[in-house]
Amino acid sequence: MEITWEDGARGEYTGEQLRWACPCAECRGEAGAPGRLSRVKTLQDDELKIRDVTLVGQYALQIAFESGHATGIYTFSLLRRLMQ
Amino acid sequence: MATPSSQQVLDALATIKDPDLGRDVVSLGMIKELEVTSQGRVSFTFELTTPACPVRDRFKSQAEDAVGELAGVTAVEVRMTANVRPAFLRPKPSEILPGVKQTIAVASGKGGVGKSTVAVNLAAALSKSGASVGLLDADIYGPSVPAMTGSRVMPQQANGHLLPIEAHGMKLMSFGHLNPGDQPTIYRGPMVGKAIEAMMVQVDWGRLDYLVIDLPPGTGDASLTLAQAVPLTGVAIVCTPQDVATEIAIKALQMFRKLNVTPLGLIENMSWYVCPSCGHRHEIFSHGGAEGAAKRLGVPFLGAIPLEEGIRQDADSGTPVVISRPESAGAKAFVEIASQVAARTSIQSFRQLPVINVH
Repeated sequence: MEITWEDGARGEYTGEQLRWACPCAECRGEAGAPGRLSRVKTLQDDELKIRDVTLVGQYALQIAFESGHATGIYTFSLLRRLMQ
Repeated sequence: MATPSSQQVLDALATIKDPDLGRDVVSLGMIKELEVTSQGRVSFTFELTTPACPVRDRFKSQAEDAVGELAGVTAVEVRMTANVRPAFLRPKPSEILPGVKQTIAVASGKGGVGKSTVAVNLAAALSKSGASVGLLDADIYGPSVPAMTGSRVMPQQANGHLLPIEAHGMKLMSFGHLNPGDQPTIYRGPMVGKAIEAMMVQVDWGRLDYLVIDLPPGTGDASLTLAQAVPLTGVAIVCTPQDVATEIAIKALQMFRKLNVTPLGLIENMSWYVCPSCGHRHEIFSHGGAEGAAKRLGVPFLGAIPLEEGIRQDADSGTPVVISRPESAGAKAFVEIASQVAARTSIQSFRQLPVINVH
């Protein structure tokens, strides 16, 4: 996935990078309980492949993966930080 | 005497700067259909980004002066028009509000500050300026728009869509139209979100320059649903001057900032009261609280509205005060605020969201 920002900067993202950065409660954990991403070492191929991206309002992207996982709402500020 | 070339006319017009957009009106594409006759008559269309433009008259006289001063010009005809531009270049054609150019939310955080009164009069003022305007009442629990606009009727259906109700030249839709009478709507949060989405997707809003959305108080489900479902052009925050109101208004504003919705600015309602018997000006809820808060937060202050019996009477009798008593101080304040909101909204149409490519 590629993002061209308002200021002209461009960022490239792989499905793998985005999947491991998924901010959803299931992946990150909530209320002190650890999330799925801290419990597993590897992910299946279909978990790493992006199927669809939709805009959420004007502050975030919702990324759906081939595995069906689509609960992560990636804010633009998170995506900008991931760009380095 | 030789007549000026089109380029010379454009160069003269390029000295006029749009104060809100910070660029000259020629490079912004506002000058159209320019003609210069051999007799030195110059005519062109000056296309504003909103019919409620606060500097409309100033632009017209500046254009006449700038062109009139050119050697060889015998007459200048300026046709003032307006074409509201869409807020953002959306990444995909959207099924949500496809024909709506600008969506403006009116929020407050705190209840009882006159949010619905402001939303109704803001919409009515934009409509009076010549724009096509819709008003969506997203307050599921306490819908006030049907009463304030005298439109207590059930919406009609056509082609599987609900048709908005037409009143005072505006298109309206409220949960109060769908669930009239004195029975309450008893919904948990997720249902509120669904109901608001339905009012955007299932209502045939058609083509609108502005859709004004009257939000319920709070920083929860309704505001969040709205900020996620549509790319809002911006949000105007209403508050009364006293500290307990401005503090909550700031929270509402910060919520929208977190969601990347641009704050168009703060509006101070119930700012002062002129006693009809003694003529003395009372500042019942203090004064200037919203202006101070706007300064601290670095957002525009859009204006102050007086506490007037007429505003309340007209809201209860179903005609917005900007229509029923245009000469009142309250109506004038609303019209001025509407043109400030329109100007702030126009700035947003020159902004772009990030472009996303998946491959």
